[in-house]
Amino acid sequence: MKYQSIIVEDLQVAAEFLKRFCEKSGVVDVAHHFLNAEDAMLFLKDNVVDLIFLDVEMPGATGFELLDQLVYTPQVILTTSKTEYAYNAFQYNVTDYLKKPFTYQRFLEAVQKVSKKTEQLNGGSEQDHMFIKTDGKLIRLHNDDILFIESMGDYVKFITPVKKYITHNTIKNLETKVNPQVFMKVHRSYIVNFTKINDIQENVLFINGNMIPISKTHKSGVMQKINIL
Amino acid sequence: MQIVIMYNEDQKIVFLFSPELDNAFLQELYGDDLLQAEMVFESSVQQLRNEQQLAETRFHNGDMQGLKKVIHKMKPLLGYMGMNEIMEEFAVFEQTCAQSETAAEAEAGFYHIKIITLEAVKKAEKEIKRLKQHNIQYL
Repeated sequence: MKYQSIIVEDLQVAAEFLKRFCEKSGVVDVAHHFLNAEDAMLFLKDNVVDLIFLDVEMPGATGFELLDQLVYTPQVILTTSKTEYAYNAFQYNVTDYLKKPFTYQRFLEAVQKVSKKTEQLNGGSEQDHMFIKTDGKLIRLHNDDILFIESMGDYVKFITPVKKYITHNTIKNLETKVNPQVFMKVHRSYIVNFTKINDIQENVLFINGNMIPISKTHKSGVMQKINIL
Repeated sequence: MQIVIMYNEDQKIVFLFSPELDNAFLQELYGDDLLQAEMVFESSVQQLRNEQQLAETRFHNGDMQGLKKVIHKMKPLLGYMGMNEIMEEFAVFEQTCAQSETAAEAEAGFYHIKIITLEAVKKAEKEIKRLKQHNIQYL
């Protein structure tokens, strides 16, 4: 799994270090870097991330004030040059606390904690649901309720038998987030729940009467995945 | 300026930071990415200079909370250059700012910070020269 993250840090040097470490790790993508909490808050109103690297003292609002505003709880790694925030860190249930400057080794330990916590949150098993942000609230969708996911540029549409949900996200990002036991990308614009496939004809598959193209790139993957007798 | 050439297990040339810097920590922080080290030292020096000017203004305006914020921002820059002892002195002065209501209460501390900042910048500039020389010669 690759974690989608943002960095909220007013010290450019520290942010550059973090970006390099994330890139080097291969498991953390940095979607954005913000120099203050206010800009990060605006971004987080419309976007969901797995992880925030968060400085505490910045011009304007503090990192803790940002956490107070969040309507959902991504994992948080505090990055600060003070140890005095340990109590607050504990209260906000942050995943780890990195004192600047920190080494790559220490960064990796923090990412391992994120990974461990993710496993705990998923009950140690493959996740059977996901939360999507739509109409200003977070909605839990069970994997079994999702027929397929369709790209709409910067948005995606989750199709269920009864309703369609539109949320700000991309197929590319979701590809690494959905449970691979259930979902697979079949086209640059589609991820399907392959337990819901009714039939496949050449380069097209059908789910509940919806026709979904299969790209050349993904055709062999689809054929391997389905149980052909 | 003297550069001692040492080789690691892979027979790569190891750059030894000056003895007044925390060499072990800097080796761990930068590994063999000495271009990154050079870049960080350069941008840290630039930012230290800018923040020092801002600190001066805030001190003379008697804005102790503003001064505390500037000191807080300068502190980790020293860490990225392996100047841990100076960083500790900044942490102490940050506390002084938090507890001071007037510039007069923090005056002695502030002038000390000014002096050690200048020393830090000098040390960093010397290190930038060493890093540049090494990087030009061996990278």
